[in-house]
Amino acid sequence: MDLLSNIFVTPFTDMVGAPDFFLQVVWEGLVSGVLYALIALGFVLIFRSSRIFNFAQGIMVVFAALTLVGLHEMGAPAWVAVALTLVVMFALAWTVERVVLRPLVGQPDIILFMATIGITLFLIGFGETIFGGENKQMITEELGIPTGDFVLEPFGGLLILQHIDVTAVAVAGLLVVSLLLFLNYTRMGRAVRALGDDHQAALSVGISLQTIWVLVWFIAGIIALVTGIAWGSRAGVSFALEIIAYKALPVLLIGGLESITGAIVGGLMIGVLEKLFEVYWGQPLMGGNTETWFAFVLALIVLMIRPQGLFGERIIERV
Amino acid sequence: MKHLTGLALAGALAMGGAAAMAESIYTPNLSYRTGPFASTGIPLMDGQADYMTLLNERDGGIGGVEIDFEECETGYSTEKGVECYERTKAKAVVTQPWSTGITLQVLPKTNTDQIPILAPGYGFSPMANGKVFQWAFNMPASYWDGAHMILQAIAEGDMANLADKKIAFLHLDHPYGKEPLPLLEKMAEAHGFELLPIPVGLSQMQNQSAQWLQIRRERPDFVVMWGWGAMNAGAIQEAVKTRYPMDQFIGVWWASQDADLALVGEDGTGYRAISWSKPMPDAPIMAELKEHVFDKGLSTAENVNGVFYQRGLVMSMMLAEGIRTAQEMHNTDAITPAQLRDGLSNIDLTEERLEELGMAGMVAPFSTSCANHTGHAGGWMLEWDGEKFVQASELLQADRAVIGPLEKEAALKYAADNAPWPMNDTCEAES
Amino acid sequence: MLYRTAGQFKTSYRADQALFPVRQDAILLGIILVCAWVIFPLTASEFTFQTILIPVLIYSLAALGLNILTGYAGQLSLGTGAFMGVGAYACFKLVTIFPELNPILAILMSGVFSAAIGVVFGIPSLRIKGFYLAIATLAAQFFLVWLFEKWAWLYNYNTSGAIQVPNLDIFGLTVAGPLAASVTEYYIVLGIVTLLTLLCINLTRGNLGRMWKATRDMDIAAELIGINLLRVKLLAFAVSSYIVGVAGALFVFMWRGAAEPNLFDIPLSFQILFIAIIGGLGSILGNYLGAILIVGLPVVLNSVPELIGLEIKSATLEHINIMIVGALIIFFLIIEPHGLARLWGLIREKLLVWPFPH
Repeated sequence: MDLLSNIFVTPFTDMVGAPDFFLQVVWEGLVSGVLYALIALGFVLIFRSSRIFNFAQGIMVVFAALTLVGLHEMGAPAWVAVALTLVVMFALAWTVERVVLRPLVGQPDIILFMATIGITLFLIGFGETIFGGENKQMITEELGIPTGDFVLEPFGGLLILQHIDVTAVAVAGLLVVSLLLFLNYTRMGRAVRALGDDHQAALSVGISLQTIWVLVWFIAGIIALVTGIAWGSRAGVSFALEIIAYKALPVLLIGGLESITGAIVGGLMIGVLEKLFEVYWGQPLMGGNTETWFAFVLALIVLMIRPQGLFGERIIERV
Repeated sequence: MKHLTGLALAGALAMGGAAAMAESIYTPNLSYRTGPFASTGIPLMDGQADYMTLLNERDGGIGGVEIDFEECETGYSTEKGVECYERTKAKAVVTQPWSTGITLQVLPKTNTDQIPILAPGYGFSPMANGKVFQWAFNMPASYWDGAHMILQAIAEGDMANLADKKIAFLHLDHPYGKEPLPLLEKMAEAHGFELLPIPVGLSQMQNQSAQWLQIRRERPDFVVMWGWGAMNAGAIQEAVKTRYPMDQFIGVWWASQDADLALVGEDGTGYRAISWSKPMPDAPIMAELKEHVFDKGLSTAENVNGVFYQRGLVMSMMLAEGIRTAQEMHNTDAITPAQLRDGLSNIDLTEERLEELGMAGMVAPFSTSCANHTGHAGGWMLEWDGEKFVQASELLQADRAVIGPLEKEAALKYAADNAPWPMNDTCEAES
Repeated sequence: MLYRTAGQFKTSYRADQALFPVRQDAILLGIILVCAWVIFPLTASEFTFQTILIPVLIYSLAALGLNILTGYAGQLSLGTGAFMGVGAYACFKLVTIFPELNPILAILMSGVFSAAIGVVFGIPSLRIKGFYLAIATLAAQFFLVWLFEKWAWLYNYNTSGAIQVPNLDIFGLTVAGPLAASVTEYYIVLGIVTLLTLLCINLTRGNLGRMWKATRDMDIAAELIGINLLRVKLLAFAVSSYIVGVAGALFVFMWRGAAEPNLFDIPLSFQILFIAIIGGLGSILGNYLGAILIVGLPVVLNSVPELIGLEIKSATLEHINIMIVGALIIFFLIIEPHGLARLWGLIREKLLVWPFPH
């Protein structure tokens, strides 16, 4: 009986009993959720246009952030470093298309998936060889990102919102809006969507596969850079971040591999739910650290009910 | 310098069994300059390497024999570490395994391979018991010593003050982080404080918001941190964010890196960490290093006045003292691993000796014996003043009457689990 | 020339379907077996045993297990590391609860536990496919590793949370633990690996193997021709997890000597997956070729700079190592996406018809 009450009653009375703390938990979850969503967004873009499950997206986040900080350390002013990083990300996109994707066109999905794991390892080794393996500090101030915090007092309690986090949420929102505008209202953007809908048809109306792939990988690189800056200013920049990047995978499952809306909703949902579960159930009842698996188990449950994810396209199989 | 660790040759030597002695003493270090823990590793390894470079440059080694201080990169991975151990053991006189995981794997092998393990300030606390762990050394202080000293600092001298306090134990969810738990549990029972263990998973080191939300909810009187690598910076930043009072936040010696605190600067003022070493930028050894190492461009170190770099120096100094003692005891230049073991068990670092070495004050004087492989030098509280760590307490000493029996019990249990386990019956461990 | 099949006539279907329709294959295999059973153990050094021979065998076995599931039955799994962990922890509990138990028997029995867990986590495969399934298996990966960390009973309430292999004897000979000789460990691993490989070769050639392949190629079609998908998929999970579990038990008991939970974390799963894919999915031989490459490569790379007298800092070397492994994965995928086994297959075809390719 005690156990049942601990599972079904106490957590909720705790939530109501300290509403300011509950809001803080939700906010923390929301901020990590935004970052999960951004990583997932990079996945979705690439998957839609090329059916490649880009495992390297998480590492691209670290690689972009590391390049930015590394270039700054080498003496480039902050904004020049940002520009240079974008150049590097473009070069990366171009190289990946040329060296990896082009020879592998038409191979089974799993082979392309493995190739992106190869890219992952290569980027880790490459980044560490050039910029060193130690934890670096994100150049938050140099980029003009505010570093203070807002202190609110809802219900007579305490709610602390970091400026960095608020900025991250705002920038992420901006990024998503501009991405949607780009995909819906520009020539290039429509080409990306066309490729996602039907490769053959897109090719036959003269859309260049190669150009679009470079473009899409470059956009994924830009998203990675933004994510890297946001995450790096929270926790420093090093390849230890890669572990967090795995979290984007269940987000994809819940949202569906093709859906941009799915990536965003899935990300926020996982961010908030895993934090609530950890604080109200995981820590008191299960010894903590449930965040490592909660998102995956949740995704598994969602998939058992809807195998294509909440927003994924219906899978129709023919024999 | 001949680096004869080519695959074939290392193999051939391993077949022979006996360690071949060249014109140098080979003391490999299983370093980790890559991976999530690299931020902790790099300054320590720099310090260790530079001290040996200094000895080679200034004195031509120890007793006229050059020290071949080579690094074998493990990335803190146990698998790589064991490979490094196998690769180097044929020629090495000592193994410095670094991670608790690697130490645990290598520990049982040293009895057959007969190589001393040197794990300064880390490893497995019961290694202090030289009767059971003939080949393992963890001077100058063990984790249990450290945990006890932290409790003393919290109690401000009178352990009765601990009663009814709530102490959160924020630790890495890894053998290293769990190491002090048995002692803390025992102390909680004895002194009536509430212990709240909060584990941080390897994947959460940089995103500890859940842990700090828990701390905010539970409102512990003190937070004791057992962190490593990226976890420290993450925790300190979260503590600042959630406005946890810094003067109630105390770390172990591996959570006292200048770079971690520099991230928060002024906001970290008041944070303390127990440490068995103390940075002394004005120590004579630093001038010598400048003359013989830095100015010759032989060092890769960046912050040579930091806690970790200087701790690295102390670590290599202890090894060097072990080698020197072994050379004197056995009256030979090229020592064998077994002779080094004798050296390491007979280190006598007095105040005068530290003065001679130019390192007075960087570590407390201590001595080891056949039975006592730790030395239990004690440590100081270091406090972050907004820019650097400064000494914030007198020398603290762990209560051996409490820890000794626990160590003995754990050591005997280890031996029983790994039976048949050879004991060194020539010495009786303190209890 | 070496592979000429002229003069080898088959007079019955039975002969045509034999394990080695070409005599040279049997001879080649014989040579390899003699090397593995006699020549290597006599000549290898301690270092070679510990860093090459034993790990190559254990990794091949784990990859073989994964290959049954992914290569033959078409169910992509990223949770191999955790299932190895189940095997290792089960074996640890078995030998500590029943100290009298024969260690080899304990290792073989520990696979049963991982098979059971494998079946449980295989149930979603009935509804979820492709990448969705791959990520769903990550749920097993992360949940099980978390469980190894939190469930203190599994490691006998040891303070460090790690498991340590005790010294185990069979008839007075120490076979596991710190006192065991590498040669003994090697022979046990080799024996178990040979046994399970033989089993798998026959399993994949038989009825069950054909049902797995049909499911892999198109599961709906397979269902339509009367294959019970539930049974076939779950059997694939069971067999695969059994082998992986045994590999996990060997991994800890015959090689590492101790293990902490994060040893079984996701990098291990990926390493096994690399081996299976680079070696070749749907091939038995490929697992061995892949393991030799993935295990041997870093060891060789580490030795190269010293052999050619180049002074590189060991950290830089490690970074470059990771880079080279990544690049090689891409390289091998580009030259032969079906893996080293197919590469060997092509070479063999060429040899068979050499010198007249028409």
